[in-house]
Amino acid sequence: MTILRRLLWRLGASLIVLAGVSMLIFLIARIIPGDPARIALGPRATEDQVAQMREALNLDEPIVVQYALFMGDLVRGDLGISLYSNRPVMTDLAEYLPASLELVLLSGLMMVALGLPLGAISARYRGRWPDNLLRVITLLAVSAPAFVWAIGLVLVFAYILPLFPITGRLSDTMEIPRLTGFLLVDTLAAGRLDAFASALHHLILPAFALALSGIGQAARLTRSNMIATYDTPAVEMAQAYGFPEGRVARRYAFKPSLIPSLTIIGLDFAALLGNAFLVELIFAWPGLSRYGVGVILQKDLNAIVGTVLIISATFLIANIIVDILVSVLNPRIRLSEDGL
Amino acid sequence: MRRTAYILLSNPLSVIGLLLVGAVFLCAAFAGVISPHPDHAGAVINFAFANQPPSLDYLLGTDVVGRDILTRIIYAYRVALGMALVVLLIAPPIGVTVGLIAGYIGGFVDFALMRITDIFLSIPPLVLALAIMGLLEPTLINAMLAVTAMWWPWYARLVYNITRGEKVEGYVLAAEVIGASKAHIMFREILPNCVPAIVTKMTLDFGFVILIASSLSFLGLGVQAPTPDLGSMVSEGTRYLPDSWWMTVFPGLAIVVAVFGFNLVGDVLRDVLEPD
Amino acid sequence: MPTKKYMIMGTALLATAALAAPAAADRILRIDEVAVGEIDPAKATDYADTILAINLYDTLVYPNQGGSGVQPHLATEWAIDGSAYIFTLRDDVTFNSGNPLTAADVVYSFERMMALGQGNSSLFDGVVDSVEATGDNTVVFNLSSPFAPFLATLVRMPIVDMATVQANEVDGDWASSWMSQNSAGSGPYVIVSHDPQTETVLAYEPDYFLEPVDGYPETVRMSYGLEPATVRALMGRGEHDISSQWMPPEVYAGLAEDGATLVTEAGLTGEYFKLNTQRPPLDDVHCRRALAYAFDYATMAQLTQINDDTSTGVPMSGAIPMGMVGFDPDLPVFAQDMALAQAELEQCAYDPAENPLDVVFIAETPARERGALMMQAIYSQLGFDVEITRTPWALLTEQVTAPPTAPHVVEIAIGAASPDTDSLLYAMYHSSQPPTWISSSYYANPELDALLDQGRVETDPSARQEIYAKANAILAEAVPDIFAYELQSPFAVREGVTYHNLADPSRTYPTAGFNMRFADVSVPESE
Repeated sequence: MTILRRLLWRLGASLIVLAGVSMLIFLIARIIPGDPARIALGPRATEDQVAQMREALNLDEPIVVQYALFMGDLVRGDLGISLYSNRPVMTDLAEYLPASLELVLLSGLMMVALGLPLGAISARYRGRWPDNLLRVITLLAVSAPAFVWAIGLVLVFAYILPLFPITGRLSDTMEIPRLTGFLLVDTLAAGRLDAFASALHHLILPAFALALSGIGQAARLTRSNMIATYDTPAVEMAQAYGFPEGRVARRYAFKPSLIPSLTIIGLDFAALLGNAFLVELIFAWPGLSRYGVGVILQKDLNAIVGTVLIISATFLIANIIVDILVSVLNPRIRLSEDGL
Repeated sequence: MRRTAYILLSNPLSVIGLLLVGAVFLCAAFAGVISPHPDHAGAVINFAFANQPPSLDYLLGTDVVGRDILTRIIYAYRVALGMALVVLLIAPPIGVTVGLIAGYIGGFVDFALMRITDIFLSIPPLVLALAIMGLLEPTLINAMLAVTAMWWPWYARLVYNITRGEKVEGYVLAAEVIGASKAHIMFREILPNCVPAIVTKMTLDFGFVILIASSLSFLGLGVQAPTPDLGSMVSEGTRYLPDSWWMTVFPGLAIVVAVFGFNLVGDVLRDVLEPD
Repeated sequence: MPTKKYMIMGTALLATAALAAPAAADRILRIDEVAVGEIDPAKATDYADTILAINLYDTLVYPNQGGSGVQPHLATEWAIDGSAYIFTLRDDVTFNSGNPLTAADVVYSFERMMALGQGNSSLFDGVVDSVEATGDNTVVFNLSSPFAPFLATLVRMPIVDMATVQANEVDGDWASSWMSQNSAGSGPYVIVSHDPQTETVLAYEPDYFLEPVDGYPETVRMSYGLEPATVRALMGRGEHDISSQWMPPEVYAGLAEDGATLVTEAGLTGEYFKLNTQRPPLDDVHCRRALAYAFDYATMAQLTQINDDTSTGVPMSGAIPMGMVGFDPDLPVFAQDMALAQAELEQCAYDPAENPLDVVFIAETPARERGALMMQAIYSQLGFDVEITRTPWALLTEQVTAPPTAPHVVEIAIGAASPDTDSLLYAMYHSSQPPTWISSSYYANPELDALLDQGRVETDPSARQEIYAKANAILAEAVPDIFAYELQSPFAVREGVTYHNLADPSRTYPTAGFNMRFADVSVPESE
């Protein structure tokens, strides 16, 4: 199958999945108990006012009709007004998604940049003390939920040793014109190195907390894949020729094991966006996850559906990118047609 | 079986893992005997001893109403293990069945079932669980349901991939030739070949279910007060950082210890059961 | 401040951070509130929204500083002619846009609020028949029937700049979306930027018609949704000035030890344990009284104690908070009496052993678990089996709409919407009210209804005092709620910052939120 055909196939399958997600979450959002109009208007609102708002939100229509109306608006790029923020859901998403993505991207970078080398070292010294030490450390990294890491890091590096800022994305005193919403990009575009440093400074701790279990996962994968390649004839041959261990490790064991590792890391990376939830809460990070929790608790229907759709879409797109990347890197990998 | 046990017991890492897991199970089983203040697992208020740092009387300190944190951690293991057991009793059979059917039957059934699986996989787990929990009363049973709903697709994927590989193997083709029923081929011929992978995943998942459950209760969903729960203890404790650090740090460590134990065992088990 | 934060860092960042030193953002005030902040005054509902509304906008009257009732604000004087209220406006007030504030703006503001039908509009729903501008500076409100609390209710009607709002209208939306991002008021501050779940930044408007205090903040940053631990750390670093009121007592105590000043606001807010009077066994008044007598007010008081000097609650003597019409300072405060509780229980038609109680606390306010645990401990002594549930807010709002299945007990803080007793008691206890969390004791008593209706019509202050005192006595007898304590909302104020309106009782405004006028806070120059 050519890459183009594969891409189209994947896009099509993803659209079907997205449509399913929208239906599922639309249904779930509407059967969560609580009258959104009453919650939004507060207890002092009169019954008339509540009825009026229910009507404005089409809440009294059959759910199928509601869904059709929603999809109609969605096609026009309108996700409705959020009852939580009183703004268009699109505005909210455009504001909060970049903050989350920036966090997730840096985490993903850390996963690869730290996870792969650690795994390679582990495999290189397989069975010896560096390997055992790293195995324990990486396993520990996977063994704690991101929120425990986040709390631990905040406790040590923000409260006890105040090395890092505790909240926000940028120092209070800096104003940066918003272009992309990615502060690392916007600050550079504005030519403000000081602000770039500040944005990075704010990002490091939450990104690391989010990345930790991914780093562990990536290291463990790389290790086992490399060990598997160590046992292949090519490596055994190289060792037999007496090539230096370092070169064998890099050239013959690390490289071939890279692709399977990357595939899984790609999937893990896509999942980061969902996992960012609690980390964002702890760091008061103005991202999508905080917004998501807020809208669910407020039973803000439009915003719940919008948030879940955008996260799912990001997840699917990330998967496709990983998939295509892998097949470009190594065309020999059998391209299976199945989904994710 | 014997070989597996031997390897587990001869590897120092898995021995440590087994010890940790054993300790957690013992805590859960004999919470009433082991814990220093068994009554503190319930609705005890003891304001005179609230917010006490670790001491000889309260080894891990007390919480905001004066309950012994060590006791509550021990009891919380009971809830955590119960949750993991229930989820891992329900989710794998569902996922395995879906995976087997989709993988073996193929065609439209495959497409439909796996897209449904994808739908569940592409909704962020916490969002899905939050939505389900919002829908239902926030009780332990419903928390289990919510976690199960997000868990089965992983088993479906795993078994699906194995089945697709196995169905072209000789023994399956042979069974087809002699006219064995589809059900027989799926559950009697292919399934046994999936068992090692499923068992390994379940061992590792034991820890991950505990993680997810603690994340849910961190958000206030799940086990109800006054029943102790690790996630809600951490979450409640964060309000009192950094002064009363013990309220957060020890329950957090308790999560890590349990999950670490399961992961150590699962890790070694994987090397044994899936030596590819 | 911002440079300090970077001191310990590596040299590379340090070098760039030095460049980051701001061009001295002179005096700044940093506070926090729960998310979300709503800046459209027609949609304002909660405490955060109130703070924003009073700093961006002005109202005809304002809660009476150092006393009760209201005082002139935009209106210099008013006359009441039957059900017509005639206001004379100040003629020296301009909006931030430069437009003069006139009677036409008042009419428009009222119409806009009612048309949008959100926020505080329900307070006026069915009350006002028409509003007309009879001159540039006179405006007449014609009420549909006499409504004594009307003046007090006007503190909830901010005046917007008609010309600016209309210029930003899209498809007859009353500029609803524009007003969620911008301000169009006459207040002492204007919006610089606004993100409803993260932060609102405001700047002082030098042309404001009232004088600010010395050292008033030129810039205000209001953050949303900060964790208590975060506030604690930020204040320690000198990066936060006034905390919110929503943190647990221990955190205030810690902040006070580190040098912060604690102030409290008596915001006409009671902490009530709402009893479901429609569901057995609490439909029997004797069972309710038993619960009220057994309630451990002393422990509750201890729970609200931050340190030796500050408490977040004072005991109540009835349903009405201190200083409101109908409050009687001579009534004894409630206290636990187990003997009386047992005696009442014996008269109750239900057997406690067969009637478990279901007590709910709101998941979003975990500190309330303590009150629930206390109830569980005490009521089990009376023989009740108490089940505690931690319920998310959205679910609770649904549960309370069905009285027969709603929880037996919900702990909740309810504040007066205006400085008038009516705004509290009517919403909680008049039988005409729809079932919501405010009315979740579902108490129905024709005698009480009659008194509450009378209080709305009667304008004579001493007659009203008597009416509400009677209502209070009925409520104390009937126990639709356990009146746990009156909330004294605590705020931690950083050393060097002065929150004058709360530090000095003679400057306090008697309604929750109305004290946080930024221009009445003194802050030091930034380093």
